[in-house]
Order: sequence, then C-alpha cells, then structure tokens
Amino acid sequence: MRLNDALLGAILLGFAGWVWWMTTFFPAFPGQDYGPNLFPRILAAGIAACGAMLVLRGLRRRAPLIVLESWTREPERLLSFLLIPGAVLAYIFLSDALGFIPTAFLLLVALFLWFRARPVVALPVAAGVTLVVHWFFAGLMRVPLPRGVLDSLL
Amino acid sequence: MDALIQAFGLVFDPFVLAVIAVSAVFGMFVGAMPGLTATMATALLVPVTFFMPPVPALGAIVTATAMAIFAGDIPAAMLRMPGTPASAAYADESYEMTKKGQLNLNMGVNLVFSVAGGLIGVAVLIAAAPLLAEVAINFSSFEYFWLACLGLTCAVFLTNADAVKGFLSLFLGLLLATVGIDPSAGFPRFTFGEVELMQGINFIPTMIGMFAVSELLRNAVSVRDAGHVVVQQVGNIFRGLGAVFRRYWLNFLRGSAIGTVIGALPGAGADIAAWISYAVSKRFSREPQKFGTGHVEGVVDATSANNSAIGSAWIPALVFGIPGDSITAIVIGVLYMKNMNPGPMVFTENPQLIYAVFLIFILANLIMLPLGWAAIKSARQILRTPRNLLLPVILLFCIVGSFAMTNSLYGVALMLVMGLLGWFLEQHGIPVAPLILGLVLGEMLEQTFVQSMIKADGAVLAFFERPIAGALGVLTLLIWATMLVRAATHRPAAIAA
Repeated sequence: MRLNDALLGAILLGFAGWVWWMTTFFPAFPGQDYGPNLFPRILAAGIAACGAMLVLRGLRRRAPLIVLESWTREPERLLSFLLIPGAVLAYIFLSDALGFIPTAFLLLVALFLWFRARPVVALPVAAGVTLVVHWFFAGLMRVPLPRGVLDSLL
Repeated sequence: MDALIQAFGLVFDPFVLAVIAVSAVFGMFVGAMPGLTATMATALLVPVTFFMPPVPALGAIVTATAMAIFAGDIPAAMLRMPGTPASAAYADESYEMTKKGQLNLNMGVNLVFSVAGGLIGVAVLIAAAPLLAEVAINFSSFEYFWLACLGLTCAVFLTNADAVKGFLSLFLGLLLATVGIDPSAGFPRFTFGEVELMQGINFIPTMIGMFAVSELLRNAVSVRDAGHVVVQQVGNIFRGLGAVFRRYWLNFLRGSAIGTVIGALPGAGADIAAWISYAVSKRFSREPQKFGTGHVEGVVDATSANNSAIGSAWIPALVFGIPGDSITAIVIGVLYMKNMNPGPMVFTENPQLIYAVFLIFILANLIMLPLGWAAIKSARQILRTPRNLLLPVILLFCIVGSFAMTNSLYGVALMLVMGLLGWFLEQHGIPVAPLILGLVLGEMLEQTFVQSMIKADGAVLAFFERPIAGALGVLTLLIWATMLVRAATHRPAAIAA
C-alpha cells in the first residue's frame, strides 16, 4: 500500500497542526521563556515543512491516490498479512483470561496450520515452543506471564 | 591495570562464556536467515538478557551482532538473498562468483576478511574511545547539543533515501521522544492521562515492532509459497586466500578504514559502510569493468567494511551516548538499564566493564573463525529451516519480549503499533533508522537545547562561542547547507554508485 505523496503530505500537515494545537494546552512558567511547548512546536513545524514539500511534489507528479500491490487483491496473501497483527491483538485480548500457555499454544497452532505446516509437525512444535518460552521467561526470568485458567494447576 | 585484570575475571567466567557461545550460535542463525536482521537479533536479545549482569548482557549483544553481520554473507552468495541488509551491497557480486564456481573462495574471503575487518574496528574502538572520553569530560550542554544535532543529521545524510523523507522520519522520532514527563518543567506531554505513557515511549518494544514485527509483516505475504532451497555443497574455503590477500591487501585496509569511519559516524552502520566501500572499490579499481561479473575485489572491501563498522559504532555510543547505528541505539538503552549511563564518566567509574566489553569484542571476532566455518558447512541445514514454523515462533518471541520489558500488555500494544508504523513508513520509502535515533537522542537534544537557550538567554551566537562547540556547529550547518543544495538540484545521494 502506497499513498500518493500529496495525500501523505496532507495527512502530515493535519498531524502537525494537531500537535501544535495540543501544545497550546501546555502550561507556561513565568520568568522562563523556554518551556515544555518549545521543542514539540519546533518539531511540528518541521513535520509540517516536510508535509508541505511532499504535497508540492505529489501535485507535480499526478500519481494515483493510493497504489495497492498485487498481493492485496489475493485474499490468501491478504489474510496471511492480517494474521500477524491479528495474532497480536488476540494475545492482547485473550491472554489475561486464558493465561499465557493456552493462548500461545493456540496462536502458534493456528498460524502454523494456516502457513501450511502439517498437523503432525505443528502440534508438537507449538507445544514444545510454548513450554520452553514459558519456562524461560516465567521460570528463569520471573516475568509475570498471565496464568489464566491454569492458575489452579500451576 | 587492575581494571584490566578485573575485566579478564568478568569475561572468563563460565556463565559469561556460555552466554557468549549461545549468542554466537543465535547470531549466526539469525544472520544466515534471509529476512532476519542483526538489529532484530539485538532487539530480541534485550528482554532475554534483561535480568543478567551488565557483562553477559552486553557480551550477548556484541557476539550476536558480529556473527550476524558475517553470516548474512552466506545466503547472499548461495541464494542471492542477503541475510542482513549489511550484505546487500555485494550480494549480486557474490552470487556471480558462485555461478562461476567460486563459492568456496567467496565464502573463505567473506569469513576471513570479516574476522580481520572486525578486529580492526575493535582495535580503533579500544584506542580511540578512552582518548575521546578525556576530551569529552570538558563538554558542556552546547557541545552535546551540537553532537546530538550532528549525529541526527548524519543519520539522514548518509541514508540513501531522499532528504525530505529522512528528516520526516527524524522529526517523528524526536516527537515520539517528547511523550512523557518533559525534562525542563516536569509537565506530562502527550500522555492522554495514561500512566504508562508518563515514562515515555518504551524503547525496546518500539525497536521490536519497527525491526521485527514490520519484517514479519513483509514476510508473511509469501510464507505459503513453499519454495525448495537448493544450496551447493561447500568444499575447502581456505584455498586460494593467500593469493587474494597478497593481491588485495590494500583493498582490505581501505575497506576496514572506511567501515571504521562510517561506523563511528553517528547514525550510519554496517550496511551503509558496505555500500560506500564497494562503490569506492569500484571507482579506484584497475579493472572496474569486472565488477558485477563475480570479481572478488569489491567483496574484499565491503565484507571487511561491514564488520569493522560494528566495533567502531560503539565509540560514539560509549563516549557520548550517541548511537553509531541502530544496533548501538539499543545498546545505549541497555547501558541505561544496567546503570552504566554512557558518557565520558563511564570510563573512569566503571573501567573494568568497558575493558570487559573490549575483551568480548576480540573474543567474538576470534571465535567467528571456527563458528563461521561451521555455519558455512551447515548452511544447507540452516537455510532449510521451514519459514512457516519460524515466523510464528518469532512473533511469539516478539510478544513475550515486549511484555517482559513493561510487565504489562502496554508493551505488546506498543510493539504492534510501532510494527505497523514501521511497515507503513518503509512502504513509502521513509527510512526507519533516523526515527530510532531521534527517539534515543530526543531527550538529550531537548535538554541540552533548552539548557543552552536558558544559559545563552536566547543569544544564538553563544552556541558557537566555545571552540569545540563552534567547530561542531559550523560542521553541522555545512552539512545542512549541502543537503539543501542537494535537495534543490534534485540529485540522488552519491552512495548509489
């Protein structure tokens, strides 16, 4: 996915304006000329300048507004792509309730199978990796991975 | 002297040596797998080394990166797929050598000159860092302000991308660094009432997102087209190396020198060192027409350069806290976590730790010889690792690693956002490295800028009054002027020769 320079630049101009607007709520300190809003404003101005240059460039070139690569029109590949953020989101929403071990195992199995691993390979590898990661991070490094439904067992 | 003996004790400890050995194997593997980079290896190592003492934690990073930058040469020669971006400059050349039946020679040259180049970079690091630290002790906020500016400018100047996009990436990174409590007045900026954001954008989940998750997104699209990897068997890689060295020793020295300088320049690392030294090699070669047809000369230059850049990138990182490349950007984060705040004082306060890092650098380059040989010999097995299993496992590591850095789902969410942002930026030809540098240096830049402005009471000339600050300032302004001229005349960077 690739936005036209002009569109990207316009988005950046809007973003820079929003940042500037946010800085107007920062408090000023009497007697001190250079407060917390100085630096973000310089950066907002810089981003706006880059955005403006991109807009000019984009208008000169007249490229299509959005260019989508061919894979985005192949549902299979699109799904492969979306599964990566999807898996992270699933972890975020499920891990507290289910616990680390079931969530990680299910995510791995689902991804393995979608990426065409044979179930004979996918299941044991998913189980092994989940347990090793859990042992290393929760056991060795004392990271408080969520226990979830296995709380009573562990 | 005491510190040196202490350093030996710190390094030659069974646990530390074991960590080095494991990270070496890890680095070789990650480097040899196309699509997995040395920066990604480093970002994923940080959560793993989080609870270790400083020496093994830094040792793991040093070893893994040195190995990964060499190992990237293996698939470059065998499959024409650079294992890391640092091998991209001469991947075609190496592959042409393979097609001519010179795979053995190419692997030997890559291994031996990587080791030798790496050692030169380390030697310069050992010699230059303490000297620079003595100079740096007298620096005030003006010098640090210009150093940070110079570092950030180099990051934009040296990337091959166009200047507008480079600066855009840089400004975004600096803006991300302003999230959290501001350094001058203690006011929480851009936190939207979230407690997690008060401490600022956590650096390691950001790196994992930008360098690992975005790479997974790019790879995911093609995982299902299972291709069979055909790799040639490698024979005796050391035959004919003597002749190459006698003929091209000057190339080796030149490549190492260029790599060392580029590595030490803030913001540019091994990949840019390889591109530039390859271009220089071609320009000054007596047989430039042979370049691109499987000629070993450019490979000697570039493979020495990328490994020498790894060591010298630590010079500005240790002395000024300004990263030499995106790997040392992570290292700086680790140094702060281990209470070894980078800066000239670390050389007087914790000299044994600095010496220990130097020793590990030497050690890592020495064990690269046998381990690299083993990796070349087992390349067939390494490259056959099924990607459909590898990708999900890496994703799990990313999730757990990010979680471990914040002990909350905030790290995971941050990683996801940064992964998507990194992917989006790359799609638009916006380089990620300046953003990372901006994020690391943002606080330092703002603090020194506001301090200097208050000291100077708004008089801009005060930024140039101290001799070193003045020289750094003029140099920075000169580079800015060059970039403006370049942007105005619309010529692409000279690197892509």
